[in-house]
Order: sequence, then C-alpha cells, then structure tokens
Amino acid sequence: MELFAMTLVTGIMVGGIYALVALGWVLIYKCSGVLNLAMGEMTLIGAYVSLTFYSMGVPFLLALLFSLIIGFILGILTERIFLDKLIGEPVLSVIMVTVGLSFFFKGCVELIWSTDTKVFNPPVFSIEPIKFGSIIIGEVYLWSFVAAIVLLVIFVCFFKYTRWGLAMQACADDEMAALSIGVSARFVYAAAWAIAFMAAGVGGTLLGNINGLNISVGYLGLLVLPAVVLGGLNSVPGAIVGGIAIGVLQNLSGVYLDRYFPGAVKDIAPFVFMAIFLLFKPYGLWGWERIERV
Amino acid sequence: MSTTFLPCGDYHQTYAEDHAWFQTKFIKGKMIALFLVLFVFIPMFAGDYWISVFNMVGYTILGALGVQLLIGYCGQLTLGHGAFIAVGAYTSTLLILEFPWPEFMINLGLAYPVSIFIAGIMAGLFSVLFGLPSARVKGFYLILTTMAAQFILVDFVITQYVSQIGGRGQAFSLPPGTMKIGPWVIDNNYKVYFFMLILVILSCIIIANLVRTRVGRAWVAIRDNDISAEVMGINVIKYKLLAFFVAGFIGGITGSFWISNLAAISPEHFPWFLSLWLVGVILIGGVGSIHGAIFGSLFMVVIMEVLQLAIIPMADTYPKLLMDFLFIKEATFGLAICGFIIFEPNGMAYRWWQIKNYFNLWPFSY
Repeated sequence: MELFAMTLVTGIMVGGIYALVALGWVLIYKCSGVLNLAMGEMTLIGAYVSLTFYSMGVPFLLALLFSLIIGFILGILTERIFLDKLIGEPVLSVIMVTVGLSFFFKGCVELIWSTDTKVFNPPVFSIEPIKFGSIIIGEVYLWSFVAAIVLLVIFVCFFKYTRWGLAMQACADDEMAALSIGVSARFVYAAAWAIAFMAAGVGGTLLGNINGLNISVGYLGLLVLPAVVLGGLNSVPGAIVGGIAIGVLQNLSGVYLDRYFPGAVKDIAPFVFMAIFLLFKPYGLWGWERIERV
Repeated sequence: MSTTFLPCGDYHQTYAEDHAWFQTKFIKGKMIALFLVLFVFIPMFAGDYWISVFNMVGYTILGALGVQLLIGYCGQLTLGHGAFIAVGAYTSTLLILEFPWPEFMINLGLAYPVSIFIAGIMAGLFSVLFGLPSARVKGFYLILTTMAAQFILVDFVITQYVSQIGGRGQAFSLPPGTMKIGPWVIDNNYKVYFFMLILVILSCIIIANLVRTRVGRAWVAIRDNDISAEVMGINVIKYKLLAFFVAGFIGGITGSFWISNLAAISPEHFPWFLSLWLVGVILIGGVGSIHGAIFGSLFMVVIMEVLQLAIIPMADTYPKLLMDFLFIKEATFGLAICGFIIFEPNGMAYRWWQIKNYFNLWPFSY
C-alpha cells in the first residue's frame, strides 16, 4: 500500500511537468489549429538556455527569466518564419512542418550544446527529500507541481479575463468571425507560439533539474501527445488532467507491470494506453467533438 | 495532377491506346534509354560507393511507395511505416536463421524468396492491426496510432523480445551465402543493386496498375472525401484496411530486401526517424504520384551524400564538422521539409509534370 501511495504521488508530481508542456501544446492548437510535434525540442531549447545562463553564475530565477525571454523571441520568430504561411493548409503539411522544425531544432541543439548530459551545478533544489508522513517526495517534483498549478491558474485567468485571452478564444472558435470584428489573427498566433515556447522552457528547466539535461529530454515532447489526447486537444484543464494521469500511469506501470513484461514498459505504456483510448473516445475527455458534413 | 497532355497532332483512336503506359514513340524511346542507363550504364560506370548510394535510393523508394499509397492515394496519414519495414526485416531474418527448412529448399535457394513473401504478409497483417483505428479516427489521431505502432513494435516488442530469440544478443548477423535466390547468391553491392532494381520496377508497376483499377479509384475517393465515398457505396473500412495491408506488404518486402544489404540487423536500423524520413521524402517528391516517391528519394539521398562530400574536404580545417555531421544532416533534413512544404507544396513531381507539358505543348502552349 505504501508503495502504491509513493508511486501515485511521484506520478502526480512528474505529471505536473507533463501537464505544463501539454499546456503549451494545447495553447498552440487552440489558437492556430497547428498540431505541434516539435514540443520536445522547444522544451530542450528552453532548458539548455536557462542551464547556460545558470552555469555562467546567474541566479536561478534570473536564468529562468532569460530563458523565458529567449523563448518568447524564438516563438515569435518560428511562427513568423515557418507557420505563418501555412494557415489553411492540410493537416499533414502543418504536422510535417513541425516535424521538420523538430529536426532542425534538435540538430541545432546538438550542434551548440553537444550530446553529453549536463547538470545544473550547483544543484538548484536541495537533494534532501521532503517527508509527508510515510511518503517521500523530492523537492524538484514538488516545485514542478506547484509551478504547473500556478501556471494553470494563470492560463485560465488569462483566457477568461484578459483582452488577449478573449481574442485567442475568439480566434480558436472561428477565425473568420474573429477577423471581422477586428481581432488580429497574426498577433494571436504569434502570441500563442511565444507563450508555448515559454511554458516549454519552464517544463524543460524543471525536468533538467531532476536527472540532468541531455537530448533524450526531448522525448517528453512525445509523451505530451498521450496527455493531450486523453484530455482533449483543445481543453486547458484537460491538458492538466491528462498530463497528471499520464504521469501516474507511467509510474504505476513501471512498478506493477514490469515483472510481467520486463523491459521498457514505462516508456511504452502511455502510447499503448493512447492507442486503446483513441479507439473508444477519440475526442478525449473534454475536447470538442466535431461533426462532419460533406 | 492528371495525365500529361499529348503533343500537338497526336490523337488516340482506340481505348487500348488511351490506357497504354507509353503513349508515344518518344516516350517508348525514353523508357528504353532509362532502362539502358539503369541496367547497363550505372553498374558499368558507377563505382562501389555510388552503387551503394543507389541501393540506399532504391530502399527509400520502396519504403516511400508504401507511404505514398497510404498517404498519397488513400489519404490515411501514417508516421509509423518504419515499424512495418522492421517487421518485414525481422520476419525474414528469423525465418532464414531459425526455421527448419527442408534440405532441398535450401539447396534450391528457395528459403530467402519464400521468406520475403511471408515477411510481406506478416508486415501487412501488423499494418492492418494498427490501421484498425482508422475505422473510427482520421487525420491527426491516425498519426498518433501509427506512431504508437512504431514505439510498440520497434522499441518494445522487437528490441525487448524478438531480439532475444536464439540468444544472439541485440544484432542478428546473417552468415554469407544465406541470401540466395535460386542459384543466385546476393553477396555484393552490384547484386543488391540488380535485386533492388527488379523489386522497385515490380512494385512501381503493381502500384501504378492498382491505383487505376476499382480498388485504386475507391482509395482516391476515400482520400478526397471519405463521407461522400461512403455515400457512393464504397465500403470505406474495407478499402482503408486494404490500403493498410498493401502498404504494409510493400513495407515488409522493403525490410526483407534490405537485409540482403545489411550484414547484420538490429532495432537501431529502424528508428522513428526512418518513418518520418519516408513521409518527408514523399512530401518533397510530391504527394499522390509514384514519380513523387522516386524523385523525393533521389533528391533526399543524393542531397545527403553531396552534403557529406562537401563536408569531408573541410574536415581537415574544422575537424569538429565531421563529428557533427549527423546533426547537420538532421537540421538540413528538417529545413528541407519545411522549405518544400512552404514554397513548393505540390512537390517535385508537379514541377516535372509542368516541364513535360511545356515541352509537349511547345510551341503552342494554350
């Protein structure tokens, strides 16, 4: 029982990071309809930038801020250079552009920072675990969970109460109608990419604090996909629930299924789950169901 | 993108002429010249290195044809074709290494050809299995399930379980002499080249003919609008699964062919990159045409080789460049895909079609 509780809590905490990156993904999809497969590489870039600043002696929060600023700039550049021209193209073209982007980013990251694992030195979070009764959690996990929740609240408020957020929702709902009442779609798309890049940067930085940073952190970008499918592609709370659920599922299957299927069950379980889930509920828990007409 | 226009003054008089592959004398001459180049001049003049490059091109064409059939003709997006190539390769290898063949079949050299066929069937069945969700979902969701195929089959089943069969460890090596078709032992690049040519030509003919039959027309109807296809009385699920089967079959044969070139196979030969690469190839070449698969493969493989040749001389001054070649390759591939989709969404096949028409209609291009 104790093992179960431990796994559950760790899963929820790791799921917080997945949720954070999934948020960025959902944001882009919600606003511009782009299905982004480059999320993992965006995470990597953000993480490496903050690591570089941190190892130059900049305080952690300041380094994170720098990485957010650079993520903001890169997001706008990416949208302007690559995705601006693809509005209205078939889904495969848009996806493959993001795949192309992911290769491009990955190549650049490997060229600039090489493939060796790098760690935040000195460690940002203390290695000393925090105890809640019999359950032990690492400090990093707790912080990432807190960050995810805080960002969730910020996002929800942003969408509900600010002018920009409303413009984004209008654009997501009906681009034509939004344009006709004076919402600048180009501005909305650029803002969505900038925010997604920033969210990915935070997620990547937190992940980099757990096990050090190397190219395989980009694998996270793929784990985001089961999360958003579970929650529904265009639902912000869905991304959070999906991310946490995938984190829990991954940890539980790592502990309990490993003795029946030795090997990398942990890495594969989210995808198996996703494939089965798609068969029964393809629009996820809170996604919009689109009714098709000829 | 329809058929090319005929030159001024050429008219069809029979239905047979209308459906002929090579419609004018010029095209016949051109095809003969092409076959001469492929079968005689390239093996005669190209060195061992360039032959191996051509083998790579052929492998890419074979793989891309399956993807082209699914994406270009049936409209079923897939990002996991590499998994079915892997299934084919492993089926074939395991059959050759582990199956108790009767003595006479080995002597007659039937083991490899039979295993190619079974590998095709096997890969086709797996492809259908992972194509089953296509009955309910499409577009992005289908991409996710095919992606799951890649991770489940290659990264899990093959890496963790299939590789353990026979206790050989991660890589299966094929002893020399096991790759033989009848008395013909495939043991060097030139033989692989001829084997590749035959397979590529055969599968091009099969697919080109398949897409102009009832089946092919049903696929195209599903691609263009699956709801209206269903309204017209096409059994959508059946034809979608058939497309998955045929694409998987070609993928299996591709994998099975490729083991004749690799001395040893391991799961690293079939990464997710391979699946993405194949989709990138058909996007660059042009979606919905067989020319597209061929042009895309030629372009991508040759561009990468040229990149390599350009980098090697610079390696003396910048030794880091050689180490980082893989990364440069990745970045270039990514940029090439982005560039093609943004600036030439119809791909190279469309340009080729325009050029042909320009010359056919010259000087009266109205």
